[in-house]
Amino acid sequence: MYQDVLLLYLIQKFCGERTCSGIYHLLKGKKSSQSVQDSYLFHVAPFFHSCSELSRSYFDTRIGHLQRAQLIRSIDANCTRFVLTENGVKQLDVFPKSRLIPDGLQIIDQINEEGRFWLKLQLLVQTVSALCQGQSTFLPVVRQPEISEHVRKLILSGLPTRDQLGRIVFNELYQLFLTMPDGEANSLSALLSGWKASGLTLDQMAEVSGKDTLECSILFKSALRRMMHLFVESPDQFPFLSRLLIGRQSSLSKTAETTRKLLQTGLTLHDIANERHLAVSTIEDHLVELTLKKVNHWLPDYLSAACEQRIMNVAGLLKTRQLKPIKNHLGEHVSYFQIRLALAKNAVSGRKVVRTNEQ
Amino acid sequence: MNSNQRFLKQAQTILKKQFGHEQFRPGQEEIILNVLNGKDVFAMMPTGSGKSLCYQIPGYLLQGTVLIISPLLSLMEDQVHALRLTGEKNVRTLNGLMHPLERSRVLRNLRSLRFLYLSPEMLRAPAVMKALSKITIALFVVDEAHCVSQWGHDFRPDYMHLADIRAQLGQPPCLAVTATADEHVRHDVVRSLNLTHPAQIIMSVDRKNIAIIVQKTANQEEKTERLFHLLEKAPYPGIIYCASRDWTERLAEQAKQKLGLRTAFYHGGMASIDRRKIQNQFLDNQIDLLCCTNAFGMGINKPDIRLIVHFHFPSSMNAYLQEIGRASRDGKQGLAVLFYTKSDEQLPEGFIDGNFPSDETLRRVLLQLDQGTRSLADKNEFMNVLMEEGVSETAARFLFEHASEKPMQQTYSSLLDPCRMRIKERVAVQVNDLSIMKNYLETSSCRRRFYLQVYHEKLQEKPAYCCDRCRIPLSELMQKIPKKKRTEPLRLMDWKQKLAALFQESERSPL
Ligand SMILES: Nc1ncnc2c1ncn2[C@@H]1O[C@H](COP(=O)(O)OP(=O)(O)OP(=O)(O)O)[C@@H](O)[C@H]1O
Ligand SMILES: [Mg+2]
Ligand SMILES: [Zn+2]
Repeated sequence: MYQDVLLLYLIQKFCGERTCSGIYHLLKGKKSSQSVQDSYLFHVAPFFHSCSELSRSYFDTRIGHLQRAQLIRSIDANCTRFVLTENGVKQLDVFPKSRLIPDGLQIIDQINEEGRFWLKLQLLVQTVSALCQGQSTFLPVVRQPEISEHVRKLILSGLPTRDQLGRIVFNELYQLFLTMPDGEANSLSALLSGWKASGLTLDQMAEVSGKDTLECSILFKSALRRMMHLFVESPDQFPFLSRLLIGRQSSLSKTAETTRKLLQTGLTLHDIANERHLAVSTIEDHLVELTLKKVNHWLPDYLSAACEQRIMNVAGLLKTRQLKPIKNHLGEHVSYFQIRLALAKNAVSGRKVVRTNEQ
Repeated sequence: MNSNQRFLKQAQTILKKQFGHEQFRPGQEEIILNVLNGKDVFAMMPTGSGKSLCYQIPGYLLQGTVLIISPLLSLMEDQVHALRLTGEKNVRTLNGLMHPLERSRVLRNLRSLRFLYLSPEMLRAPAVMKALSKITIALFVVDEAHCVSQWGHDFRPDYMHLADIRAQLGQPPCLAVTATADEHVRHDVVRSLNLTHPAQIIMSVDRKNIAIIVQKTANQEEKTERLFHLLEKAPYPGIIYCASRDWTERLAEQAKQKLGLRTAFYHGGMASIDRRKIQNQFLDNQIDLLCCTNAFGMGINKPDIRLIVHFHFPSSMNAYLQEIGRASRDGKQGLAVLFYTKSDEQLPEGFIDGNFPSDETLRRVLLQLDQGTRSLADKNEFMNVLMEEGVSETAARFLFEHASEKPMQQTYSSLLDPCRMRIKERVAVQVNDLSIMKNYLETSSCRRRFYLQVYHEKLQEKPAYCCDRCRIPLSELMQKIPKKKRTEPLRLMDWKQKLAALFQESERSPL
């Protein structure tokens, strides 16, 4: 049920301007500039990386189901792009928004760290749980070398001592879970593994909770994001666990961050591409990402106000956020890069180019 | 007391004190004695019979470190875990999936280690060899030694270098162990590892405590029906081996619905964390019935698995014996049932082809290596890229291992013909293995006698519960298999309960 509404919602947001794969990559959190940009452009950033375990075959089955139930219909010959039918819109409208997008999901300032953070948290909890019961060995569910190394350092740092560890992790998690809705706390805690207390998989959680897998995943992500947010905002309240997040605290990808620093030193896009041995188009991607994430004081160097205005006018006229039709309309006067910048900037300022699916 | 008697007494003490076992199992004493006397040893003992102890006990009696070469990460991990559970602290692994810092910590402290488990490719890293050459190596153990043989089913090119490596390390005594090797493979192992006048302790591959049933059914529906008929009265915990991911999920769901069992599925398409969660649940007795592909099982040492079902038959006798070998490793009675139907016969043939790169892929990859558009520098990277292109894991490994063998002055493309030859040979071996497996299914005489013949053995003494052809009394057999209480149904704890369970705290607020 939830999963169907979620897909309806995203299909509506994408207005038939991206294929289903775009939605799938969004949910999986594919680290391509296209997916990241789309998530801002179509105002669905909270759902980026929100169902990272989703399999393509399952996703395709659900889309097929929506189509058969006539909640969506395809608008191209290959059946890759869809819009909602009237019934689809109705279904979506009656579903409570707060359940569709739990508050925590919208806290996306740590989104680049959430995958790693979750791995570290799981390994830490499993390790501390084993220590609490006097066990020096266990079969870890997380086995990425860098993650193990990080958790090892944290535990061996000597503060707190081994005897206190269990108590402290318990207390901090307890305080954290108190701050969030029980449903979310239950979801996140059910996934955690410990000594003789293996965590559930999302499928298992769906089985016992009566919710579908995607809803379980969304609830869990909402809880996780709240948690990370608290760690950033009030590390003093969670002196131990908040150290899991130490490191980069930025929603920018690492590589875009590097580009940002170089821009600050006054280098141009081409200088940076040369200096970093990267393609110009890659640096352009970074600039678009910076724009989407509102670190764009350099923007006038690449996009004049007049040019931006022209692009947005055409976008409004054609009711699209697809690059090609806009470019065709404007011809040689503007580059694809400028169109992307303009769309990115206006996506952030909240100016809507297209209202949803009026057909 | 002569020296052998003294050795035996010491070994006995360790068996009891460190491992908590009362007496040796057949074969163990003889192997351990030969090892303690510094001889090279080749040992074949059936699955689950206790080969690990044969090198673990000498670890406490010999000077220096015991090196154990093991083909699979999961195997190593499980063994290290098991040793740690006995209280042993001086045990580590070296494998490709380690942080460089962790690796150097291990290398720095080699001398203090009693046991070091390594994947074979680690022995080709100069830094590892340099560190190893500085310590005393008590024993050079090759686990799953049949991987050395090109005639073996699980041939691993990495294993071919082991003789050289042992020589570089000053030729420490070698113990090679395997559960399944016919005469041909045994010969190969002794020769490839360069064992000198080895003591050979060859025991039957037979697992007498596992009753065997093979059932032919008219079609898939009847097969499923028979399966559920069996599951109604079967002993648990159990494993069902399936040929595809879909089937594991489907059967797990059906068994849950129909029988109210606690079930789960396990296959290579799941996220690795989910796979480990399911494995841990199974080991912790939280799952009655696990439906899996052959991705599960290697390295699993759960002593009380009572039932192994093959819903699709494996592609070789060797795989079959390994898989049923997961049952009843504590020595009590267990049961293995295989169902098949005519249409299953196409499945394994497809797998055999999938085990190797297609001619097109082979040519393309070698060419790209020559042109520098593909690199062998990072094994994981190389494998992952190929797998994303749709090449199977085994085929990707084949490509990596063979390409890494390229002599300096040649091009990669010059490997094309040797690789084709190798593939042809390997396919022939596997096709032959498959036809033996099919004959086994069709045999009208004793199953046990048949598979023993494959390993050139004669059935000496039939167990009371032998096989379907020997007409085992089923209901009597079921009485004999230890029963276990069914697992409680899965439930969602609220977060307070869960935290309390994780940290052994009370559920009340900590304030
Ligand atoms: N002498 C003994 N008495 C009781 N239990 C034993 C003894 N020796 C080994 N075992 C137990 O038998 C089980 C199987 O042992 P082990 O893992 O060494 O098998 P294996 O021969 O290596 O099998 P495989 O070929 O499947 O790897 C273990 O649980 C081990 O503790
Ligand atoms: Mg073994
Ligand atoms: Zn028989």
